[in-house]
Amino acid sequence: MALLSFLDRQNTVAEPGFNRWLVPPAALCVHLCIGQAYAFSVFNLPMTKLLGLTAATPDDWKLTDLGWIFSIAIVFLGLSAAFTGTWQDRVGPRKAMFASALCFAGGFFISAVGVKLHALWIIYLGYGVLGGCGLGIGYISPVKTLIMWFPDRPGMATGMAIMGFGGGAFIASSLSVWLMQRFATPGDIGVAPTFLVMGVIYLCFMMVGAAIVRVSPPGWAPDGYVAPAQAKKLVTTENVHVDEALKTPQFYLLWVMLCFNVTAGIGVLGQASAMIQEMFQGRITPLAAAGFVGLLSLFNMAGRFVWASTSDFIGRKATYATFFALGVLLYAAVPSVGQAGSIALFVAFYGVILSMYGGGFATIPAYLRDVFGTRYVGAIHGRLLTAWSVAGVLGPVLVNYLREYQINHGVALKDSYTITMYIMAGLLVIGFVCNMLMQQVNARHHLSLQEARA
Amino acid sequence: MKPASVKLAAAWAFVGIPLLWGLIQTVINALALFR
Repeated sequence: MALLSFLDRQNTVAEPGFNRWLVPPAALCVHLCIGQAYAFSVFNLPMTKLLGLTAATPDDWKLTDLGWIFSIAIVFLGLSAAFTGTWQDRVGPRKAMFASALCFAGGFFISAVGVKLHALWIIYLGYGVLGGCGLGIGYISPVKTLIMWFPDRPGMATGMAIMGFGGGAFIASSLSVWLMQRFATPGDIGVAPTFLVMGVIYLCFMMVGAAIVRVSPPGWAPDGYVAPAQAKKLVTTENVHVDEALKTPQFYLLWVMLCFNVTAGIGVLGQASAMIQEMFQGRITPLAAAGFVGLLSLFNMAGRFVWASTSDFIGRKATYATFFALGVLLYAAVPSVGQAGSIALFVAFYGVILSMYGGGFATIPAYLRDVFGTRYVGAIHGRLLTAWSVAGVLGPVLVNYLREYQINHGVALKDSYTITMYIMAGLLVIGFVCNMLMQQVNARHHLSLQEARA
Repeated sequence: MKPASVKLAAAWAFVGIPLLWGLIQTVINALALFR
């Protein structure tokens, strides 16, 4: 009972003198853990050799079957974020982070059993469904809290947390490889004990985040900050209920913008290693290609903080306009850069593209706050993340299948990505138009004075 | 140092050290691209 009351929202209200800079580390405790999802692929190859140990046997799992673990997790990320957003707004960040930790770590524990019994469906249920729910709940859990603590810099605050999601992949990929090496024996590849240990580590780390997080007292504002009395351009001073937000065109415009921005980036990120090796045949080794993927992840992470912080100064609409306009130019130029044989330009272009991919994720919570107000921003953000689930399928499918289609029709390997790049540029043009169409939400959708006081 | 400052430093170190370790590992791997 004491634990349950510790998790209650009223017990997380900050005491006087609380330093708001303690909240970003709490958010990072969660995001650095759930960012592991981006590095799950390091388990894929070892899991194709669980029975054969040195080489895959016919009874071993196939890579294509293992790829579904990540896809299921991303789908459940979107679904759980969409369905638990309202609940999270009600119960506060501590209970949400606690639930996220139990789901995410539980996913690892169940998956360890799945590996031990060599039953893939258990891993689909464990990491895919339960772990995916942990991802979704954890992803949106600190967003509203951060926005309330940093009304003067909402982009920077949420960017910091969401940057952790990108950074979590770095930690996880190195940690997973190190743990598998420690646990490997002549008769076991070491995946199951690695899952168990990672589950324990993530559980503890996320619990620390849940323990130190605090919500701001009602009416709190940073010293010297005066909330704008009147709406300016897209930034509202009103609030829109989460259910009402779904009735506005603005929600769907933002949904399409996030979906297409993510589609373009995620497709490239998933195929980056193969793409650079095929476009510069004989000049890029697999090791250098792995370095390229690592570099893109760095840009992805840095972009989350840099772009989201920049949006506090230039505005969200201008930030997204930059993503789309610059993205179109870069995607359209990549095939020419490849044909010219310039590796440095190729890497630089993709670095900027991936920074904008990360920036899109990190800027969207502040964009939502501007358009729909602070009150239901967590829940609205949760619903918007279904765009990520769609993009998680759409991006890789576009890149992989178009490449295969091109190759089957006699196109050279190094040119097999050209059409895909132009399609990605086309998607970003649509995103640009959607962003340009963004306007203030019609006043009829705002909470009435009575509802706002309730 | 005040207890509040220690708490703040400890919280940032708790998340910063693992992140820095992961970053260094990634940069080391990425350097292969330029060798």
